[in-house]
Amino acid sequence: MTTDTSQKSAPRASNIAETARRYALFVLLGLMLLGFWWAQPAFINSANLFSILQAVSVVAILGVGVSITMSAGGFDLSVGSVAASAVMAASYAMVVLQLDAVSTFILVLAIGALIGLANGLLIVKVGVPDLLATLSTMFLLAGLQLIPTGGRSITAGMVLPDGSTAKGAYDPAFLLLGRSRLFDIVPLPVVIMAVVAVIAWFLMERTRFGRVFYAIGGNETAAHLAGAPTKAYRLAAYIISGTLASLGGLIIASRVGRGDVSAGNSLLLDAVAASLIGFAVLDKRRPHVLGTVLGAIFVGVLLNGLTMLNAPYYTQDFVKGAVLVGALALTFGLGKRKR
Amino acid sequence: MSAPQASIALSVTGIEKSFGPTRALAGADLTVAAGEIVALMGANGAGKSTLVKIISGSYWPDAGTMTLGGKAVSFASPREAKAAGIATVHQATDQAGAAGLTVAENLTLDELCGTGPLFVSGRSIRRRARAIAGLIDLDLPMDRDFLDLRPAERQLVAIARAVAAKASVLILDEPTSSLSTAEAERLFALLKRLRAQGMAILYISHRLGDLAAIADRAVVLRGGRIVGAFPRPIDFPAAVAAMIGRPLEAAAHGGEPSTAPIIAALRNVQLIPGAVRFDLDLRSGEVVAITGTLGSGKSRLLRVLFGLDTPHAGTVTLDGKPWHSDGPGRSIAKGVFMVAEDRWQSSLLPPETPGASIAGTIALPHLPRWFPAGIIDATRERLVATDAIRRLGIKARNADATLDQLSGGNQQKVVLARWQAEPCRLLLLDEPFQGVDVGAREDLIAAIRGSQGGSATVIATSDTEEALEVADRILVMRDHTLISADGSEGSLAAAIGGAASASPRKLEP
Amino acid sequence: MRRSLISLALAASLAAIGGSAFAEGIAGAPAPFDKGGVKIAVVSFLGSGDWLQAFEAGVKRQAEALGIEANISQARNDINQERELIQQAINLGVKGIIINNGQPEALKDVAQAALDAGIPVIAYDVNLDNPKIPQVEQSDADMARLVLEQALKDEGTSFEGGVVYVAGFAPLDRRYAVWKDIVAKNPGIKDVATWGVVNDTVAASVADQTKAVLRANPNLSVVFTPWDEFARGVKLAVDELGLGDKVKIYGVDISTSDIQAIIEPGSPWVATAATNPSVVGEASVRGLAQLIAGQDPGHSILIQPTLVTKNDLVDNNIKTIEELQAKFPAFKDSDAAKAPWIPEPK
Repeated sequence: MTTDTSQKSAPRASNIAETARRYALFVLLGLMLLGFWWAQPAFINSANLFSILQAVSVVAILGVGVSITMSAGGFDLSVGSVAASAVMAASYAMVVLQLDAVSTFILVLAIGALIGLANGLLIVKVGVPDLLATLSTMFLLAGLQLIPTGGRSITAGMVLPDGSTAKGAYDPAFLLLGRSRLFDIVPLPVVIMAVVAVIAWFLMERTRFGRVFYAIGGNETAAHLAGAPTKAYRLAAYIISGTLASLGGLIIASRVGRGDVSAGNSLLLDAVAASLIGFAVLDKRRPHVLGTVLGAIFVGVLLNGLTMLNAPYYTQDFVKGAVLVGALALTFGLGKRKR
Repeated sequence: MSAPQASIALSVTGIEKSFGPTRALAGADLTVAAGEIVALMGANGAGKSTLVKIISGSYWPDAGTMTLGGKAVSFASPREAKAAGIATVHQATDQAGAAGLTVAENLTLDELCGTGPLFVSGRSIRRRARAIAGLIDLDLPMDRDFLDLRPAERQLVAIARAVAAKASVLILDEPTSSLSTAEAERLFALLKRLRAQGMAILYISHRLGDLAAIADRAVVLRGGRIVGAFPRPIDFPAAVAAMIGRPLEAAAHGGEPSTAPIIAALRNVQLIPGAVRFDLDLRSGEVVAITGTLGSGKSRLLRVLFGLDTPHAGTVTLDGKPWHSDGPGRSIAKGVFMVAEDRWQSSLLPPETPGASIAGTIALPHLPRWFPAGIIDATRERLVATDAIRRLGIKARNADATLDQLSGGNQQKVVLARWQAEPCRLLLLDEPFQGVDVGAREDLIAAIRGSQGGSATVIATSDTEEALEVADRILVMRDHTLISADGSEGSLAAAIGGAASASPRKLEP
Repeated sequence: MRRSLISLALAASLAAIGGSAFAEGIAGAPAPFDKGGVKIAVVSFLGSGDWLQAFEAGVKRQAEALGIEANISQARNDINQERELIQQAINLGVKGIIINNGQPEALKDVAQAALDAGIPVIAYDVNLDNPKIPQVEQSDADMARLVLEQALKDEGTSFEGGVVYVAGFAPLDRRYAVWKDIVAKNPGIKDVATWGVVNDTVAASVADQTKAVLRANPNLSVVFTPWDEFARGVKLAVDELGLGDKVKIYGVDISTSDIQAIIEPGSPWVATAATNPSVVGEASVRGLAQLIAGQDPGHSILIQPTLVTKNDLVDNNIKTIEELQAKFPAFKDSDAAKAPWIPEPK
């Protein structure tokens, strides 16, 4: 019967299109790996692949924070400057306050959580729109991080604003955070990224807390009327985001071993881009942890490969933008008519 | 100006449309003449919404042709359909205009976005907007935000825009579902005037009262095909039988005054300053309908019972203890559940959100109770949802279907199922039959009446027929106070009529 | 989009392959230069600026003469990025790495990782404090001293002076130290202001700061700018405030656009001391080539600076770096890290 065939072929065609959209980014990633491998055999050696993961670890960690705030209907523009402030805070803690690695670690994470709390209170209690609140925090931090040192970069033996010389130095144990490798193979930042990703994925996809975050982002009124403490959740989203951003900052600090004024410049845009590219992963059309991490890796692979092929740096932003546009088109444009 | 036998304005032939395995339309034919009001009837999932979406350009048909004013047309987007002269007022009234803009800006939206002058001032917008509103005698505060309008008011704004855009075909998707009787009467008068001006009107509804009042012809859709056409005077029992395949049973309830224990009690309550004080007892096992015009205080009373609002004066008790809540979370924990009106805005999530499925929608308020450790057990959610699908006759593929794939009636069934998934003390339903067809309404009523157990149910509705069908007891509100507790139809209609004419809040000047 | 990405990647890879196809060996040169196809990485901390362009041009010229394929990348002021670029160069298996600028704390361990992988490293303007890593240096102290002595000659030993300075960049630190030294030795010089910022828009940001400083210190007559991007910012501010006849800029570094800024009529920038960035690039490649060939270029490869005054340029009608090289032979070439088998850059 004609109706039978039409009923069978239609779903098959749409299933193929759906499957294609779901795995498009995985396939592209695979093709890219093969392409770069073909063009530059050194690309595929495990050291390089781990370098790529290490390079994207900070962006991915920040991106996870961004995507959690996005899932709760917010947007954290301050992650880049929180990470930069964390670099300065960690350096200040060790070089000026002479704290050890563990206390520095705890102190900086607490600062990140506190900034997230401030963001959240500004948004939930004062009622400033998310974008504006976090934008102002971003500027505030960009300046605040310079005040304790009078605008100087923080290095061992630096001259303080009062003319004295800083007595502390980076704790060698602290440097392990960014520079050591698990089993001598996997860089510790990659391990941290994986742990953060798994925990955040579990939280967002498998627990009721994640469900409520998404419900708030989807329809805050509905979530509120269904009994969810929406304000507490939004507050929590910003605290998580701030803490993760400061964790990213700690990794940077331990990688560079000094507190630099310009550290973390491009992190915000990269983290947001990773989150947005993640929308297309598995055709979820929403922020999600797995997508964000994959989005970060996708960009990382592309940039690493292009650098190896000697592509000039200005093509890199272009390529990032092109990937973002493509991913968003994949998310919002293609196949939408079906619905 | 009046030309009833005028030319065919809109004609569709052999329209087919499938969504995956679901065949929504299987060769639908329909014509609407200029100066004619055609009622399109159909049960839940019959394909009404799909047909409307094809005519208005939101969907592309798999097969079939469409002519407009005698010329073959096909629309790639709602904008093209609109430009060709097809205006659609959708059921979801929040899409009828732009939130954040004022009434005046919404009325002149087409001009602002399109062909209007380059420079606009607030004053010129208001002048144009008043002219547009004048076309349908619409009287609304021009600088109110669209978001703050009631569904009825939003609808009138949308119709005014269609008239201003000189549309030749006007499609109304269940327009009276959220209107009070008086508002519906005004809408009918307006539609009759538009008909006299030669507009072709396709009117989707399943409210028999509406159809009797204005339809020239009723066309019944079932299983994606037109299964019957009924010229005026419309044989309603036959039309309804064609629509749902069985005769409509009128529900009849009521009887002896209940002596069951009191669950919630209002004493000397004054809802807003200046309103008359009243008492109200809600007893275990009863269904109470509260009816009244738009703005009479029904919704506020429900919000007070839910704990979202506090009354200006008076006391509220729940199970004998003073009742006040600091938010929905606490109310739900105490067993006070509320289904707010406008389900898309108040209950449902966008389809891409996790938990937008039937299972997730039902589970949302019960997550802390069901999964105290935090980890979601999807099997349990699905079990509850599958049970609800069976019990309420929800037409859906399975428990994982998202709500946007369901018709209005089925969406409302899911929302009801959410609040019946756990035992409660007090179930509050605000306009639960909004945008729900006759078949689904019967199912909903059966579900509401079938499972109150030891709880009390309060339903706010502006439709007296609904109230009669569902309730043990009907109360009428006017000016934020209760004015009648009489269950007989005659006095009820009189009370509402009196309430409407005495109401200071009128839509017309 | 997918297609264009892949084709972009393909185009880039083809370009890379095409580039290496030209590399041929040099007869009589030590291995591996006799066979050609040697690949090196050049990692710069900066991402833009005339200096970097000229430096990279020099790198390319000398690399081409040696049949080297140079993979050039920039960290764009992101020190963590620079680490990753070096790590990537190690992964790529290059024969040698030139590290151009950066901060020692962040780079020491990756540089050591490169050495551990058997890849020689040469560093310019960043002290990696490693006996195995030769340092290419333009003597910052000499440059600063040259131009500041010119300032003393022009303005006498009694004036109000200011300096644009950001701590934490080794060359700036060294040049700044000379300024401090000169101020200390000449009690007539009043050091009234220190300002500066390093970001993605150095010149514009410094210009904004400078305006504020000049308004606050109307008697300021000499500004020492230990980096040409700073000089450009200060010049912008002085021009916009119309103080060209009152404030003089004594700078360090030079490029074609610097020359044009200096010879502009009424330009406050009157003198600069510089090494030729192209020569720095060339010498870095030569030093690295010697290391790759197993020879020792010495731990310190010093490039002597030249003083260039506004009058020199105007009198000799010099408008570009090329003309400067043609008319100032000392500027054109350096003997640093030369070897008989290394061909002259074209």
